[in-house]
Amino acid sequence: MSADRPQHKSFPWIRTLIGTAVVGALIVLGAQMFEKQLHPLAPGEAPAPRVPGADFPMDTFAGKDVPQPINYSHKLHAGDLGINCLYCHTYARRSKVAGIPPTAKCMGCHTVVGTDKPEIEKLTAMWSKGESPAWNKVNDTPDFVHFSHERHLQKFLLNNKDMDIKDSPDVCAMCHGDMNTVGVAKKMKPLTMGFCVTCHEKNNGPADCTRCHK
Amino acid sequence: MSKTKIDRRNFLKVLGLGTAGAAMAGCDMPSYVTSEEGAEKIYSYLAPEEYMIPGIGVWYASTCQQCPASCGVHGRVREGRVLKLEGNPDTTVNAGKICQMGQASIQAHFHPERLQNPTINGKDATWDEALALVKEKTGNAAWVTGTVSGHQRVLMDAHRQASGNGRHYAIEAVNARAWEDASATLLGDSNPNLHIDKARAVLTIGADFLGTWGNPVKSMRDYGNFRNAPRGVLMAIEPAMSMTGANADTWVAARPGSEAAVVLGIGHVLITKHGVSAAGMPSAAAAFAAMTPARVLELSGVSTAQLTKIADTLMSNSPSLILANASHAAAKAAQVLNLMLGNVGQTLTPSTALAANGLAPLTGSSKDLVEFAMDANAGKIGAAFITGTNPSFLAPKGLDMAAALSKIGFKVAIADFADETTKSCDVVLPMSSPLEAWGTHVPVNGGASGDIHIQQPLMENVYANTRGFGDILLSVGQGAGVEGLGAFEDYYGYLRTAVSALIGSDMEGDWNKALQAGKVTAATIPMAFKAGEDVALGFSEPAAAGTLSLVTSARQGLYDGRHANLPWMQEAPDQISKAVWDSWAEMHPATAAKLGVKDGDYVSINTANGAISTRVFTYKGMHPDAVNVPMGRGHTDYGTYATNGVNPLTIMDASPGDRQTTELLSSNLAVQVSPTGENRHLVRLMDVDSQHGRKLVATITADQFDRNQGGA
Repeated sequence: MSADRPQHKSFPWIRTLIGTAVVGALIVLGAQMFEKQLHPLAPGEAPAPRVPGADFPMDTFAGKDVPQPINYSHKLHAGDLGINCLYCHTYARRSKVAGIPPTAKCMGCHTVVGTDKPEIEKLTAMWSKGESPAWNKVNDTPDFVHFSHERHLQKFLLNNKDMDIKDSPDVCAMCHGDMNTVGVAKKMKPLTMGFCVTCHEKNNGPADCTRCHK
Repeated sequence: MSKTKIDRRNFLKVLGLGTAGAAMAGCDMPSYVTSEEGAEKIYSYLAPEEYMIPGIGVWYASTCQQCPASCGVHGRVREGRVLKLEGNPDTTVNAGKICQMGQASIQAHFHPERLQNPTINGKDATWDEALALVKEKTGNAAWVTGTVSGHQRVLMDAHRQASGNGRHYAIEAVNARAWEDASATLLGDSNPNLHIDKARAVLTIGADFLGTWGNPVKSMRDYGNFRNAPRGVLMAIEPAMSMTGANADTWVAARPGSEAAVVLGIGHVLITKHGVSAAGMPSAAAAFAAMTPARVLELSGVSTAQLTKIADTLMSNSPSLILANASHAAAKAAQVLNLMLGNVGQTLTPSTALAANGLAPLTGSSKDLVEFAMDANAGKIGAAFITGTNPSFLAPKGLDMAAALSKIGFKVAIADFADETTKSCDVVLPMSSPLEAWGTHVPVNGGASGDIHIQQPLMENVYANTRGFGDILLSVGQGAGVEGLGAFEDYYGYLRTAVSALIGSDMEGDWNKALQAGKVTAATIPMAFKAGEDVALGFSEPAAAGTLSLVTSARQGLYDGRHANLPWMQEAPDQISKAVWDSWAEMHPATAAKLGVKDGDYVSINTANGAISTRVFTYKGMHPDAVNVPMGRGHTDYGTYATNGVNPLTIMDASPGDRQTTELLSSNLAVQVSPTGENRHLVRLMDVDSQHGRKLVATITADQFDRNQGGA
């Protein structure tokens, strides 16, 4: 019986294979380093959003500028004019997705406000033709990740006794960074699984795989 | 063993190390996995309704059109797309449930091979050109359809009346015509309400009510109640096991074509042993008296003990219900037994007729297929509209459908997919999917409710240049100058006016209520059964013992072949063989042994009409004289997914099996079977029937069951 069994010590391929595994790991690690070179962390740490009762990762991500059909400015609308995030992204508290506001909402103001600006003229032209702008998605999770805006807003904003609805930018900033400072939109947080899990661990979020991967 | 060969232990070591290395490296997902910045488009609504929220579905009611049963459905619509169907709980027919074929209508709806543009002689044309040509050439046109009802039928009838009274052929290969005719003859009501749930014993002879017969969704619910305490007893007599047979307590294999003789034999035992009276029906009584158990054994292979057990069970579990669709003779004999056993009035009650004219279902049969082929071949049909059926696929070679169609001067197909029939049509009008169109449907097995189901579009057209079936009918009707249609711009307008008339209100609120419910309840006229009368009962002699006969079962999924282009239905395992994506020939292991073939061996099945070649699947739920090739596969022109398998319908006997009614039979065709020598593994979900001792399904022997439960 035992004579038939191969001798483990005289197995010559094992070193090669371990070597291959190590090289594979190095390649993946190298690719990550390279990727980080491409997207260096933003200089300095982003201002800490103030959300009482929440403890979340401060990682930042230097997203690229994504050209959009209309050069909308978050800085102007949300930052300078102080319009609440949830005024336009009204679906965020009711649905999985935050949604792009319907054009009708834009036109609510822009039939009177700023009608002579070229970007508004573009929007008006689309509206009169019955077309929606084809926005390029900036913050995107893979299809196997189910993220619910509604749940997160409930926990950190709507059911958080220390928060008022006007404080929504602080809650949104947890994952989206300070949108009051950017033009159309830019990815400012890594939104990786590590980023999600760190926050879930710190804030006692659910830890079962199937909560997000279903 | 060589020293370099990897053994299990080392293999696992390497695998473990490799995985660990990759896992360490991949702990934090590299950002390039998620940073799809700008890779996808995102569109906003323009001016949505208040309740339209991206990410949250809204449910709308509509009606399923995957088989003639017309179940009510709710469709989940999200971001303007219909994603999932469920049964509409407000309907009496399906009460919140639908079957796998209904679920697959989503796949048909988004199918990339749907017809997208009208064609004239195979070349793309505009709707105006196509409709103008149709208007010019369809005087006196016949209509060739499947089962139709509701306002679509009203428009077809109106068109026929306005254009010269062409005949309406309603073709369904899977039908209940034998049962309908027997019920009409004996009860004066072709579709009496069945109360499977109220019966204490049900005997079915070729009526696969849990599979494809009538409305299986309704039957399954009734069957669930029937099996609740006190548990009803289900018995089945058939040559090849069906879904219903597989659920039966007593399953009896009968030689193909001998079903009527077995029913007569049961009547014989009921009269002689139990003293059941056939008073007032001397001809029927004579037929029962002549069918002695010895004669039944000789004709069908059903033993006296089996016959007696069935008769005893029927007697001790009253009321019972005997359903038969195997042949006209069997169905008629079964209805006589229902009368004799006092089931009529208890488990069979009169249906109700809609007070409004013309909406009732025109149920299809293969009789119409035969007559359509004969009339066309005789040059009696000048022009034809063909929709909702595929005569070229369903017709046996002997009917010579190709020649028949070529003799029709002008053929218009109204279809959502190209198939064997549209190929030979002069004009093909692409219709929207049933989930994009308006319509009304009266369920064939609707119960006593008078319900008319409303089919409403669940989303915009996937293919912009298709039109709803009703809209096409309206244009065709307007082209033929049908009175009263000119005023309507579209079928929605017509339907809304017509439904308002039915419910006696044209208020916006009432219309919305009807749409929300998915149905309206129209006025009905109660019907009554006529008094039982004497009928002559006969039977046809089956092929001699030892001669193989071909049976072509219909199975839920591919149905009569109309769903063969849906990968979901090809992939869903067959209920009996668990096979996927291909055809097979079921035969009894003893028969296979006699032929010298085993599982996977190809056999050639020969009849006077040709031959098909498919592989053997041995199964004990078969009469040894039966070979069963389920229908639905073997398309030649039905898209990418429907090409596999063979079509047993092509080699069926084209001469009407039941001379009296010209209905084709799905069994009773003597065939020669010979091995071809080829063998390929039949892909099945489960592949082996053994549980390998793992007790996945707990079983006890019949003896133990009888001791513990006091079984039937």
